[in-house]
Amino acid sequence: MSNRHLFLVPKFITTPSQNGVGRYVCQLQRVVLKFCKNNGGSRGMREFIEHDLINYTKDNPGTVVYLKPRRHRGPVICAEYLNGEKQSIFCNNFSCEEIAKWLNLLLTQSGNHEGTRLRKMWHTENPSVQGPWTPYTFRDPTLNLAKFPNVDLSTPLSCPKTATEHLLELFEKQKNEKFENEKLD
Amino acid sequence: MAASLLNNLKLLTQKTAILASKTSLNAIIPGRGIKRWVAPTLRELEKRRKRMGPQQPNPRSSFLEWNYDAELYSFGKRLGEEFKTNLLQKAFTHRSYVIQRELTGNLTETFEDNSDLITEGDSVILKSIRQQYVRYPEEIVDAVCNYLMTNKMLAHVAFYLGTKDIVLTAEFPAEEETLANTFKAIVGALNRSTSEDRAHVFVSDFLICQLNGKDIYEVWDPKNPYDILKQLVGREIEPRLCNESASNTILANYQVGLYDNRQLLGIGWGESVEIAKETAAMHAIKKLYNF
Amino acid sequence: MAALKRVQQWATFARIWHVFDASWQNPFESAELLKKYLMGLHKPIYHPMNDCGDHVIVINSLDIALPGDEWKKRVYFHHTGYPGGATWTLAWDLHKKDPTLRRYTMERLHIFPDLNVPQSLMKNVSNQIRQIRPVPKRLDAYSEKEVKEFPKIIDLPKDYILR
Repeated sequence: MSNRHLFLVPKFITTPSQNGVGRYVCQLQRVVLKFCKNNGGSRGMREFIEHDLINYTKDNPGTVVYLKPRRHRGPVICAEYLNGEKQSIFCNNFSCEEIAKWLNLLLTQSGNHEGTRLRKMWHTENPSVQGPWTPYTFRDPTLNLAKFPNVDLSTPLSCPKTATEHLLELFEKQKNEKFENEKLD
Repeated sequence: MAASLLNNLKLLTQKTAILASKTSLNAIIPGRGIKRWVAPTLRELEKRRKRMGPQQPNPRSSFLEWNYDAELYSFGKRLGEEFKTNLLQKAFTHRSYVIQRELTGNLTETFEDNSDLITEGDSVILKSIRQQYVRYPEEIVDAVCNYLMTNKMLAHVAFYLGTKDIVLTAEFPAEEETLANTFKAIVGALNRSTSEDRAHVFVSDFLICQLNGKDIYEVWDPKNPYDILKQLVGREIEPRLCNESASNTILANYQVGLYDNRQLLGIGWGESVEIAKETAAMHAIKKLYNF
Repeated sequence: MAALKRVQQWATFARIWHVFDASWQNPFESAELLKKYLMGLHKPIYHPMNDCGDHVIVINSLDIALPGDEWKKRVYFHHTGYPGGATWTLAWDLHKKDPTLRRYTMERLHIFPDLNVPQSLMKNVSNQIRQIRPVPKRLDAYSEKEVKEFPKIIDLPKDYILR
């Protein structure tokens, strides 16, 4: 039972500027990798830059990567998206693989969603195919011609058999039996 | 300024979190955690920032990490189009910027501004919209063109392409009209770099898809939908009151159906019978054109 | 667009006026039934925060039928707040004074003692709610022929005096 949702900003799912409808554009505009050339916390970042950065940039030519070495400061990934939002990830003591994972995640995001929660996991412009309900959807059109108050419409649809009706039925049955007996004779 | 204050507060709360974890883990190590001088320093910085008054935001191009050629290259790659570099460069240079550079006197390189690319792009966009909606009547196509070619819509599209940092203008931040012109110039540059067909595909992928999920009546506002429907159908249409409720109150609701030779054309609701008739006609037009 | 979406919402949340004939009906059972319509529970768009209740016009409230001994035994208590201000009123007595079932907070429920409903209200009505129990037929509603032909279970002796 978590109460984390109480402090998260609620948001609905949106795509910026109808992204996937025409063609898909990667929403990550640029990434700044800030690291220290000597400090131990930036080791993973330095390893990533040595080994995996070139492949990353080759695979994603639409994202500009800047390297910013800063002495005596922790390693950070600053991402900027096409809608102008910025996201900073503090990668102190991250391994090379973790940094690669984060960078790949940033490629798939469309903005900074930190501190937000999704209210609904879906979004549609046309929630109803047959049309939304109106009080007239299942209304009997004969009601239009009725004059209120109407006796026929007022009677209950089903009622248990009364004693009087039961008696009448028994009488009818008795009469029919008598009639048939007479016919047989 | 508020953003920086928030950032400082965020740092402070992070540091308090670290302090709490450290104190919970071990015995209190003296001298660790948030130092005594941190809060007063931040407070003094905030005071000085307030004293300076509201500062204009700096353009991204003024940052230390900025490589204009790389940004242009990745812009082209991100959209999946092959641009000629000089044309793309030209598309982003606005007349105001050229004039500003000339006035300040730094004429190390000659800049070409994008006015001719803008006019070219404008005509290409119009042509591609009309090409898309050839089978619809003139009125509706005009309405669609007007809706898509507003500065607001073009600026919105251009913003989400990532042009606001690359564009070269005299003023910062770039205005709506400037961004709209930038989009037209990009289309013009694409038209010249590659074929017109690719430019049409580009326009349909970025501009015409903004109509996705939109109802036709957001774009087009017919004055007399009932008369338009009568013209379309040709024959006499019969409006009939299908249902009504609470007719004597202010919350009255009427349902009117339009019938042509006993076939239902459209249904509409309304506060009064006339409004219901008009909405029924709009519904019928929508069904006829298959919008 | 705005027009179409607006009228669509107008239609979905339209209020319907119902009419209910309360003659020979148990008011407690009828109240359970009418409660659904007044709250809007009969609509698929129901939500407690969504003001979607309908109007109900109840006619012939003079002819309601309380079950069993209720007419004699049920009392309504009222205290004015002043000393000695307690009153216990029997149900039949109260019904004679004010046959409209004493409603105060239910503004959507309109009760009339007989069939006289103002025409302006009757014009709004578009639905009739079915009664819960069938209206019994009184002896004087049967024709003489039907009474004679009705099957007899027992034959009363000729000198039997009917009270």
